[in-house]
Amino acid sequence: MRIRLLTGIVLAAFVILLPDAGFAQGTADPSALANQSLRGYTHMFIAYAIAWAVVVGWVISIARRLARVEKALKE
Amino acid sequence: MDYLRQVNAIIWKDLVVELRTRERVAAMGGFTVLVGILFNYAIDPTVVEPQAIAAGLIWMTIIFGGMLGLGRTFSLEEEEGAFQGILLSPIPRDAIFVGKVAANFIILTVVTALVFAVFALFFGLTFGGHPVALAGVVLLGILGFVALGTLFSAVSTRTSMGDTLLPILVFPLLIPVIIYGVTATATLFEGRPVAEVDGNIRMLGAFSAVALFAGAGLFRFVVEE
Amino acid sequence: MSAKIRWTGAVLGVLGLAMILVLHWMVFFWVPTERTMGVVQRIFYIHVPSAWVAFMAFGIVAVCSAIYLWLKDERLDMAAQSAAEGGILFTSIVLLTGPLWGRVAWGTWWTWEPRLTLTLLLWFIYVGYFLVRASTENPQRGKRFAAVVGIVGALDIPLIHLSVVWFRSLHPAPVVMKPEGPSLDPRMLATLFVGLGASTLIFLSFFLFRYGLERMRQASAHREMAPRETPAPEGAAQ
Repeated sequence: MRIRLLTGIVLAAFVILLPDAGFAQGTADPSALANQSLRGYTHMFIAYAIAWAVVVGWVISIARRLARVEKALKE
Repeated sequence: MDYLRQVNAIIWKDLVVELRTRERVAAMGGFTVLVGILFNYAIDPTVVEPQAIAAGLIWMTIIFGGMLGLGRTFSLEEEEGAFQGILLSPIPRDAIFVGKVAANFIILTVVTALVFAVFALFFGLTFGGHPVALAGVVLLGILGFVALGTLFSAVSTRTSMGDTLLPILVFPLLIPVIIYGVTATATLFEGRPVAEVDGNIRMLGAFSAVALFAGAGLFRFVVEE
Repeated sequence: MSAKIRWTGAVLGVLGLAMILVLHWMVFFWVPTERTMGVVQRIFYIHVPSAWVAFMAFGIVAVCSAIYLWLKDERLDMAAQSAAEGGILFTSIVLLTGPLWGRVAWGTWWTWEPRLTLTLLLWFIYVGYFLVRASTENPQRGKRFAAVVGIVGALDIPLIHLSVVWFRSLHPAPVVMKPEGPSLDPRMLATLFVGLGASTLIFLSFFLFRYGLERMRQASAHREMAPRETPAPEGAAQ
């Protein structure tokens, strides 16, 4: 379940960012690109999502390891 | 004086082993020539003139070839269990480190001379008009590289990943050597005055000093049981 | 886990979470949009704080490693390991958010901007730290090796920084990258500071929990190795 969710997120990010790959072949004109504010919004949300995912991921990882150790100590 | 004698003993031992087996120099020397051949086909001389990128090519060859040899610094000790013998002897740990660095430095200097000769031959390179400064830059750069590489070779030899771990550990830390070394070398190749590479030489010296002191200080923690 | 660690971690965590919420409000509703880069510049408010945490964490790793080698107190190694775990995660955040921002703001996924380059190298040093830890049969040796990596890394990072900045001065970028933008509005500065505070608190909170976890793990491992009480043999004299 979690793997499917993760795959979905990665694929979504990929699809959203794919048009950028087209631009990578072309010119890199900053002002023209900055005018596309929709792309800016997408990138910004993905960036914040990544930061949240990493931090929350760490929390969950610590919590799980903690539960495992507490269980081991109880025995 | 005693310390120097101990260091010399280590240097002498390693060089004698190397002279007898010639395995490291052979591998690194062969690597140098072969890389030169590969570069000849990898670079299109109609698009880019080898002289223009010579400094970078030479340094990368030295680094990659050097890694081959550095990885083997402690292999003999590790295989034969000879390390215990050295550690049990009264030689202080940092003397062992300095000795190993010096031996590696001598071997790599020989290989570097070969790199310069091979590349000059294959690509018709000229090295500018300041051979002493050039030698200084290259030797200082190699010294820092060897100091770092020797310390981490002791680390990687005693892990399960072995030599494959060495580039991962060393390359990020080697950036200053590449930046200052290649830039200074390229500047000298163009025949520009030595004063322009003065800062680079200073930084390479600083790097080498830090690498040597850090290595000498930390080596005992790497080899203790 | 010791009550002190748990309690301090929880307090820092709650404070950090509160600041995170404030930060989000500031970023999405208060701070003005940057003139040339547009909305995407708001990534700056998590990108830079993450970088700050990444390097601060490495400082903790280096100091704890050095003292660990000197005093041989296992708790210092546990602290270094916990800091390194957080550090590499925040470094990853920097490296992932940077290109997302740069792609829209400056038209390119990657730039050899000195700070980003330094962060990439820091990431590799962290990787080396964990690799040497994991690839030794003797875990004590692994800890010492990791400490050496941490110390040498910390010594080298200023030199790397100097060299990449100097290199950049020789080869200036075609586009001038000023993360804040040509104007640094005081509101942007305020938001940045809130971001710095929030990320520091979050890191410290999780660092403490991670450290507490490691203490418990070691305690659990010791208990497993301690000799169990042997049951009285059958028919033994009472």
